[in-house]
Amino acid sequence: MSDIKQKKNKTWKNPLAVWGSKGGNHEVPTPEYKNPHQIWRDTKTFKVPTSKIGRFHYEYKSTNHGEKIWNRLRWWPTRRTILWTQGVYNRKSLKPEKIRKDKRPIFWFFSLLFLAIAPFILPDGYKNSLLTAGGIFGIYASINLCWTLVIGTAGIFSLATYAIVGMSAFLTTWLSINLGLPWWMLPMIGMIVGLCFGIIIALPALRLDGFYYGLLTLGLNELCRVFITTSKAFGAASGGLYGADTFINENWEPMTQTLVQYYSGFALLIAALFLFRFVDAKRLGRILKLAPEKKEAFAEASGVDYKRARVTVFLISSIALGFIGGFYAAYYRGSAFDIFSFHTVIMGLAMITIGGIGRADGAVAGTLIIVIIDRVLVELGPYRYIIIGLLMMFIILFLKNGLFGIRKQFRDWRDKKKGEARSSRLERGGEMLPEQATETDNKDEIYRKRYDKMQREFLKTLICDEIIEEHKSKPLGQHSEALERVLYYFRRGAMNDKYVVKCEEPFKKYKIMALSGVRGRSPRLVEDKIYNTVDEAYHGLFLRRVQDLMEA
Amino acid sequence: MNDIIFIIINGITVASIYGLIAVAVSITWSALGLLNLSYGFIFSFAGYGAWLAERYLYGEPIFVMFMGIAAGIVGGVMVCLLVFIPVHDKPNFTIRGMIGTLAISLIGGQILLQNFGPKAKLLPEFFGYGKIKILDVTLTADKIGIICSSIVMLVIVVRWMKSSRRGLEIRAMMMNPHAASIVGIGVRKTGIYVMAVTGAMTGLSAVLLSQTYYLSPFSGLTPMIKGVSIALMGGLGSVRGAVIAAIILGFNEALTSKFLGGRYVLMTQFLLIIIVLIIRPRGIAGILDKAREA
Repeated sequence: MSDIKQKKNKTWKNPLAVWGSKGGNHEVPTPEYKNPHQIWRDTKTFKVPTSKIGRFHYEYKSTNHGEKIWNRLRWWPTRRTILWTQGVYNRKSLKPEKIRKDKRPIFWFFSLLFLAIAPFILPDGYKNSLLTAGGIFGIYASINLCWTLVIGTAGIFSLATYAIVGMSAFLTTWLSINLGLPWWMLPMIGMIVGLCFGIIIALPALRLDGFYYGLLTLGLNELCRVFITTSKAFGAASGGLYGADTFINENWEPMTQTLVQYYSGFALLIAALFLFRFVDAKRLGRILKLAPEKKEAFAEASGVDYKRARVTVFLISSIALGFIGGFYAAYYRGSAFDIFSFHTVIMGLAMITIGGIGRADGAVAGTLIIVIIDRVLVELGPYRYIIIGLLMMFIILFLKNGLFGIRKQFRDWRDKKKGEARSSRLERGGEMLPEQATETDNKDEIYRKRYDKMQREFLKTLICDEIIEEHKSKPLGQHSEALERVLYYFRRGAMNDKYVVKCEEPFKKYKIMALSGVRGRSPRLVEDKIYNTVDEAYHGLFLRRVQDLMEA
Repeated sequence: MNDIIFIIINGITVASIYGLIAVAVSITWSALGLLNLSYGFIFSFAGYGAWLAERYLYGEPIFVMFMGIAAGIVGGVMVCLLVFIPVHDKPNFTIRGMIGTLAISLIGGQILLQNFGPKAKLLPEFFGYGKIKILDVTLTADKIGIICSSIVMLVIVVRWMKSSRRGLEIRAMMMNPHAASIVGIGVRKTGIYVMAVTGAMTGLSAVLLSQTYYLSPFSGLTPMIKGVSIALMGGLGSVRGAVIAAIILGFNEALTSKFLGGRYVLMTQFLLIIIVLIIRPRGIAGILDKAREA
C-alpha cells in the first residue's frame, strides 16, 4: 500500500495487467488516496477542552503485597483492626496498594495527642490563658457532644441542653453548700438531677416533633432562668451561686491549679467522646440511623422501636449532662446565671453548627473555634460576638452542614461538574438514541452502527465521477482501490432491501429488484426500467446504491 | 369584682402586645417556612428607631409610633434579604434559616449595644396620662391605647391579607408553597412582603412595650420567647389560634401574678403550654396531621 500512498498522479494501474487483463482496465483515472483510518482518529479525539478534575495524583498510597492484605494489627484481644485498611489494585497502574478507608482515627489521635501534651509545648507567655481556655473547651466540648447525641443521633431538636447542665450545677452547688457534700459527690448527684430533668423534658418530645419541640425547649430554658434568678435560695443578687466544694486546692501553686483544671477538662472530653462512640455507633445509634426524620414509618414497619431508642438516648445524654453539671459546679465552685441565658444557647448552637450538626468531630472543632474566639481573643471586646455571628452567617449561607460537611459538599459539586463536562463533550456517536441503546438486547448492534456510520462517512468522500466512470466501463473485474472499497461495502450489506439483477430474458432484458430479506417472501421490483445488457444492469444497480449511500 | 376586671384588663393588655409578635412568628413560619428567632433584634431595632426619631426628629407620639413601625419594617426586610432570600432554596433550609436569624440577632444585639450602650432608654407615653372610670373600674389611657392600637394593627393586617392581591399571594404560600410558585407567585417577593408586615407588627409591639417598660439592646428577647410560646400553643401558622392563645396566656399571666406571685408566671405558663401541646401536638388551631414541610 505504501507505493499507492506516495502516488501523486491520480492514475491507478491495474497490477494484474502484467499477465494480460482480458477485457479489464489497464489504467484509469482515480481520486486521490484518502486514509481510511483518519475518520476513526477524528471520531476518537475530544474536541472539547478537558480540565484536570479527578482524584489526587499526588496522594501517597502505601504499597502492599497482594497476599498480605489480611496481615494487620488488631486491638488485642478483639478481632478489630486498628485502622480500616483495604487492599486494592490501582486502576491505572494496576499496582497493589493499601488504602485507609477511614482516616479519621489518625486525625483524632494526633489532635488528642496535641491536647494531651499542650501544657508542655505552649509558649510561656500565653500558657496560663490558653490552659484556662483549654479547661473551658473540655467542658463545653463535652456538653456539645451530649447535645450532638440528642440532636444528631436521637433527632430530637432540643435547645434545653444548657438548662439541664445549669439546673444540675445549681442544685448540686446548693446541696454542697447546705449539706456540705464533698466534691466527688457532686457529679453523682448531678446525674440524678439530670435524669429527673431528662424525664420531665422528654415527655413532650414523645408527642411533638421537630421545631415545635425546639421552640418549647427554648421556652423551658427561659423558665429555668427566671426560676433560678428570682428564687431566694439561689442567691438572686450575686449573679450566680458559689461556694461548692471543689477538687482544686487553693493552696496549690497557681500553675498547678491551672494544670489540674486543664487535665480534668481534658479527661471529661475523653469520657464524653467514649460515651458518644458507645451510644452513636452501637446498637442504639444503629437503630436510630434506620429511622431518620420523615422515614419513621418505614422504621416502625421494619420492627424498629425508634421512639424507645430516641428516649433512651435522650435520657442517657441527660444523665451525662447532669454529670457535667455537677462537674461544672465542682470545677467553678458554683455556677453563674449566664448558663441559662439566650446568649448561651446561641453560642452553643454556633459551636455545633460551625463544625456540622450531628458529628462528633464537628462538635469538638466548632467548640474549639468558638472558645478560641470567645476566651482567648478577649482583647477584641464585643467584636468577638460580631465575628462569631459573621462566622455563623458565612457557614449557613455557603455550607450545607458546617465545616466538616465541606468534604461531601465539595465532592457533590465536583461530581456535578464532572457530569456537566461529560455531557458537554458527548457526541452523537452511533445511530442510536440513548433510550434505544438501553433497550437493545444485542449491544453489539450499538457498536456495529457506530462503526457503520464512520465507514459510510468515509466512503462518501470517495464517491466521485472517476470511480463512477470506471465502474460504468467495467462493472466486474479488478478495480481501483477507491472503487474496490465502495464495492466491498455494498456487497457486504444486509440482505433486506439488497438490490439484485433479475434476468427477464437472457442477453436482452434485465431489471433491478430488491430482496425482502425474509425467507419465503419474494423480492419486489424497484423500477420498471429495462436494461439491455447485464453490465448496464450492474451499473444501474451500482448507481442506486451510491444514491442510497449519499442520501443516508 | 374590681380586682377581677383589673386582672382581665391587664391580661388583655399583655396579650395584645405579645399576641402581635406571636402572629408575626406564626405568619412567617407558615408563609415562608422560616423560624425567625431574630424578632428580638427587630424589636430592639424598632424601639431604637422610635427613640432616635423622638430624640432627633420630632416628638409627636403618633409620629414616633409610626417611625417605630417603619424601623420594624426595615428590620424585617433586612432579615429577609440577609437570610431568607439567600438560603430559602438550599438544602436544610429550616435549620439554616433559624441559625441565620440567630446569628443576625447576635450581631445586631452587639451593634446596638456598641452604639447605644447598655443603659435602658425610655420612650414617651404615647397615650397621655388620662383615666376613665367605667363601672367603678379605672382604665388608664395607656392600657386602652395599647389594646386599641394592637387590635387596629391586627385588623389591618388580617383585612389586608384577606382582601388584597398581595395577601392572596401570601395565603397561597401558606397553603402550598410549591404550588404557589408554580402558578407564578414569586417566593422572594412574597418573602419581602411577609417580612415587612411582620416587622411592622413587631415594631408596633416594640414601641408599645417600651413606653411601659424600657428599651435596651436585649429587651426584645423575653417578648420574643413569649411570642414564640404563644404561637406554639396557638398552632404555628394560625392567626386565629395565636389570638386565642395570647388571650389565654394573658389571663394566665395576670391570674398567676395576682394569686401566686410573679415568680410563678412562667411556670404556670409552660405547664399550660405543655398540657395543650400534649393534647393537641400542633397547638390549639393547628392542623393535626400535617406539619409544614418547607
